[in-house]
Amino acid sequence: MISSPLLSPMEEEPYLEIYLDQCLNQDEPASTSSHLFSPIGPYDAYLHISSNQETLASHLEPSKDTSDFSSVDLSFLPDELNQENIEQTFTEGKEGVEGNHETQGDPSRLQELSEKNNNDICTHNLSLSNSGLHQLSDGTSTLPSPENSNSSFFPLTSMTPLTPMTPVSEGSGIVPQLQNIVSTVNLACKLDLKKIALHAKNAEYNPKRFAAVIMRIREPRTTALIFSSGKMVCTGAKSEELSRLAARKFARVVQKLGFPARFLDFKIQNMVGSCDVRFPIRLESLVLTHQQFSSYEPELFPGLVYRMVKPRIVLLIFVSGKVVLTGAKERSEIYEAFENIYPILKGFKKA
Amino acid sequence: MAYQLYRNTTLGNSLQESLNELIQGSLNTYRFCDNVWTFILNDVEFIEVTELIKVDKVKIVACDGKNTGSNMQNE
Repeated sequence: MISSPLLSPMEEEPYLEIYLDQCLNQDEPASTSSHLFSPIGPYDAYLHISSNQETLASHLEPSKDTSDFSSVDLSFLPDELNQENIEQTFTEGKEGVEGNHETQGDPSRLQELSEKNNNDICTHNLSLSNSGLHQLSDGTSTLPSPENSNSSFFPLTSMTPLTPMTPVSEGSGIVPQLQNIVSTVNLACKLDLKKIALHAKNAEYNPKRFAAVIMRIREPRTTALIFSSGKMVCTGAKSEELSRLAARKFARVVQKLGFPARFLDFKIQNMVGSCDVRFPIRLESLVLTHQQFSSYEPELFPGLVYRMVKPRIVLLIFVSGKVVLTGAKERSEIYEAFENIYPILKGFKKA
Repeated sequence: MAYQLYRNTTLGNSLQESLNELIQGSLNTYRFCDNVWTFILNDVEFIEVTELIKVDKVKIVACDGKNTGSNMQNE
């Protein structure tokens, strides 16, 4: 049975880079899919589903040299985006999300955690922002575009002559913000929910209503549903790393209560993002022209529900110009979906 | 047509409520088990018409039923 024990930040970095390589090589579907399937007969499907890390590890060496984002110069990015990156890494590195100035209950433990996570959160954020943003070219292509993916990496300055990826269309310049991440993990041991509810802080257990303990922690601000089978759902985090961190904290709480909790098969199940296009939208016209994707019933719900096929994302589009994107398993799907919808929305701008 | 994303927010809403209280108010911990609520509050002021009582820590144990019973223990 393949299990994924807790990886140290050092061990996790290469996997993040592999993920980023896959984002870059999006226009080479043949090679990307070959990463996912290793030539072992009857276990193909099982490997594909549960052991991305295993197959990724086998490709660690060859793909590592094509892109290393840890030393990327971001100064060419427009100020607001650059600021965003810095703020994100800063706040997440310090574990003080959204100006939460509450004193930490367990400073030594959290300090150690924040140090450990500082590295992978910082590089992670930088890397992810880069891979997400490379599509947001403002006339100048940013990081290695698909055409140049095989060439060596150039340090980008304002003097560097660049050919735009798509000469006609520009990126939207808007980055959807992640609002919620839902993830699951298997603690791999039977749990006595009553004992957990009685001894843990901030727990609710009402077996008549719902057969799980609902536990919350302050930092990251998340809620977990813990089931007697040992499986756990973690919601409310604002990033993938925070979701994983929160899930580990919940697992530790359970462990401290005396259960042999492990941390198996952590998987992000859903990601929700939102943003604002800053102009009003004619939803009626949009539903007429995009009938096969949209449903708009203002008497039921004021937002238009747009079910995008590729990537498979559901967007809630409102008259005000606010957009909610959900159904993603990866951050890049949110970004991609928004980049796809933005030109369509521009075509339906009001007045 | 049930939208799964709203099930998410139902949970998120109860999260907001509880944690807002935690951050803004003085709720230290809460517990709900066997239909009994247990709250621990810090730095609480009990204001009666005549008197004002300030307390560092309050444990509230509350259960409901037909004849609602509610106990309060000060520490």
